[in-house]
Amino acid sequence: HAQVAAGTPKRNIQLSNIIEECSNGRRVSRLLELSPKKLEPLPVEEPKTPKRNSRAASTQPTSASKGTPKSANKMKLIRDGTIKPNIHSRDAPVQHDANELALARERLHVSATPSSLPCREKEYEEIYNFLEGKIFDGCGGCMYISGVPGTGKTATTTAVLRALKQLSEEEEIPKFEFVDINGMRLTEPRQAYVHIYRQLTGKTLAWEQAYNLLNKRFTTKAPRRITTVLLVDELDILCNKRQDVVYNLLNWPTMPTAQLVVVTIANTMDLPERLLMGKISSRLGLTRLTFQPYNFRQLQEIVMARLAGMSAFNSDAVQLVARKVAAVSGDARRALDICRRATELADDQAKKAHLSVTVSMMHVQQALTEMITSAKVKTIRSCSRMEQLFLQAVTAEVTRTGIEECNFLGVYSQFEALAAFSGVIVPNPGRAMAICARLAASRLLICECGRSDIYQKILLNISTDDVHFALQASKLL
Amino acid sequence: MHRRTRLSLRSSSINDKENEHELTQLPASPRKRRSKLPVVEIDAEREEEVCVGSPKKAARKATRTRLTDVEDVEELENGSHGAVVTDLVGKLPEREKEYDELVGFVENVLSSDGSGSLYISGPPGTGKTATLQRILNHPSFAKKLKPVYINCTSIKSVGSIYKKISEELGLKVSGTTEKLYQSAIETHLERKHKTIMLVLDEIDQLSSSKQTILYSIFEWPARQTARLILIGIANALDLTDRLLARLQARCELKPHLIQFLPYTKQQIVAILKACLEESDSLSRFPEAALGLLAAKVASTSGDIRRALFIARRLVEGAKKEDRKTGSGIQTLVNIGQVMAVLKQVYGASQTLSNDLEEGFPLQQKILICSLMLMLKHGKNKDITVGKLYDVYKTICSRRNIQAVDQTEFISLCTLVETRGIVRLQGKKEPRMHRVCLQWDEEEVTSALNDKQLIASILSDVSCLGK
Repeated sequence: HAQVAAGTPKRNIQLSNIIEECSNGRRVSRLLELSPKKLEPLPVEEPKTPKRNSRAASTQPTSASKGTPKSANKMKLIRDGTIKPNIHSRDAPVQHDANELALARERLHVSATPSSLPCREKEYEEIYNFLEGKIFDGCGGCMYISGVPGTGKTATTTAVLRALKQLSEEEEIPKFEFVDINGMRLTEPRQAYVHIYRQLTGKTLAWEQAYNLLNKRFTTKAPRRITTVLLVDELDILCNKRQDVVYNLLNWPTMPTAQLVVVTIANTMDLPERLLMGKISSRLGLTRLTFQPYNFRQLQEIVMARLAGMSAFNSDAVQLVARKVAAVSGDARRALDICRRATELADDQAKKAHLSVTVSMMHVQQALTEMITSAKVKTIRSCSRMEQLFLQAVTAEVTRTGIEECNFLGVYSQFEALAAFSGVIVPNPGRAMAICARLAASRLLICECGRSDIYQKILLNISTDDVHFALQASKLL
Repeated sequence: MHRRTRLSLRSSSINDKENEHELTQLPASPRKRRSKLPVVEIDAEREEEVCVGSPKKAARKATRTRLTDVEDVEELENGSHGAVVTDLVGKLPEREKEYDELVGFVENVLSSDGSGSLYISGPPGTGKTATLQRILNHPSFAKKLKPVYINCTSIKSVGSIYKKISEELGLKVSGTTEKLYQSAIETHLERKHKTIMLVLDEIDQLSSSKQTILYSIFEWPARQTARLILIGIANALDLTDRLLARLQARCELKPHLIQFLPYTKQQIVAILKACLEESDSLSRFPEAALGLLAAKVASTSGDIRRALFIARRLVEGAKKEDRKTGSGIQTLVNIGQVMAVLKQVYGASQTLSNDLEEGFPLQQKILICSLMLMLKHGKNKDITVGKLYDVYKTICSRRNIQAVDQTEFISLCTLVETRGIVRLQGKKEPRMHRVCLQWDEEEVTSALNDKQLIASILSDVSCLGK
């Protein structure tokens, strides 16, 4: 090709420089036109699969003059933040039924966060006061928020930040920037720097450069700097052995130049003392806030607030859900899920009977048993007779020795005795081992070190009562 | 679009536009000249000039342009406000003795034209870094010393410390391997140079299995021609004895030790006073309140960050009160408020019980009670999740409460664990995890706040037996 010939012979052709184009249904490969300086290998920071759907978005003024985006260029545009990721949209929006039950189901979805969170007013106020004070003073600080999953930690914090953003747009309070990272969304703790930098400037860099630039940004003076609020969700994931990421994230607010406010969220209450080094927990400070699990009244209020103005739900049914969930974990997500499942059950019934049905106690009871029921008893009942015998042999061996851990030899002798007692032919040890392996695969048993054959250790993964209870109905007992 | 080369990327520029900008600004910048000149032509003297003088300036300039560039992206609104900034780097009360000792040490080394190493230790929040920053900014040392401050948490891996140091010194290195950077630093130390003051903060991050890097760094001051003041900062008192035991064998290698003791009550009072004076809120604090605060902090950790934090919180509270009342009178901080904050901060389990009175799920209560029962009356104190589950089930069935199944029970255990009441120590099977009670019985009883349930379960010894 002409382009190849035009290039100086010194050039080495690299894969990333060859692009393929489809013209008139034929695939044509050609070398990307580059100036010698630009022929250096592209910086490969995070190998990403090029997004296919970004092609549509890339016809922007920057690349429009060049025609179709070249694959190597595209990666660069993505890293520069010129191309935004987007997904294909539907041709037409999905039709919703105007049914009240369907509407209730939609409102009960976990993702439909209400604009004001019921039962978290105190916590809201505390976070609001903290952040507002810091933004007003233009100084840095840290806060640690903890609580078990599903108690509204992230929702409350983001609601506070939304309100503050609104106020800053109305120029009631000074402007601030908001960055959030989530420990679970990072492949590696150090990727936190990349994500923070990307949210601040829109560019994607390797973590080392991102760290250096952030460090420069936070440690040098800038008279017109505005406060940055950094929300770190799932802090415990960011702790590795060296804990350098957490150290840096919490060290920046201590600089007088940074104007950085870090709000950290995690599940464990005593994480700073348990997991973090002394110097880090000293930097984390003492502003702590704990979200207690919801009690049943609060859960009831949350569900009722979502269903406000609807008669689809029986209030007693909501109370039952709330009481059941509050007794176990106090997780609002769970309560909403159970309510949603109950609505689905009611919907099914309504469709069958062609009637309008409200969600009643019965549906809730059904949903609760579906969620809480244990599959183990059913599994034991549906085991083959030999497997049931083997399970019994294990329980017999456990009661005989009094130790939870028994070895295959002991179990097999029990098995032989039980089989002789119930008049079946005893399988040979090889077959018994196959039975044992099957039970271990369904996690009724735990077999340690699988290759030690007759000396392998066997543990029950269910309680002995479960076995008795399941086999009571069968003829074996 | 601009295409970045690998090299320019490493020099951490944001984009090419800036690079061009910078180059046009400094047409005869030594950096550019150096990049064009072959390495052989640079004689030692010139390289020193190039290294020490100009790149620093150029770098400073570059940072400035870069930062304004970053700032341009943001909204440019009024950023700084009058605030309680606890910035004490300028003058550091209550660390005069250590400061003088350090200055004496540095002056001593400078006058003898040799080198020395120093290890500073102390618990977190005792002003080690602040003191060092003050020495680095000391005007009389500025001419004689080349200061290099490196926080060891900021490096990529232990080995990349050499790269960082040579970058800070502005050395020209012909390759990118660790060895080359190290030898570049060592040749620089052999040549004629300004005395270098190398401060390694959080030096415990540099420890590795063989400690080769720590040893090689601490051996630099013993070189014949080297003029280096090496200062390591860490928390551990005996880091040099523990990690660098072999340095004891040679007297010239042994680092001089300085210890930063935790602040005493009087010192904390003095610091807080100096700090509050700066922000004009000293009048808010009665003497007794300050004394109480200082005594509490000094008795537990002596960490000045904590003391400043609590004082700040109190001042903020008072300011809020001011805003609320609207009158011009300054609200005073009273002893009661100090007590309340201290109680909240230091009495973890006490505040817990206050918060917990409504919010402890029933099943979790039963779980903890059955664990307590097993610990109190059971024969075996080695409790696994499986065993605990069996007992829990019997207790539940006695009480006509529906028991949760095993998978749910394991997640219950982890929920209780997040409160710090129990800890699960794991083998891989969840049923085999060991459950350890972390609180003592009284704490648990006050936290659960359900004496009736606890008493009835603890008396139910028959649940344990088979």
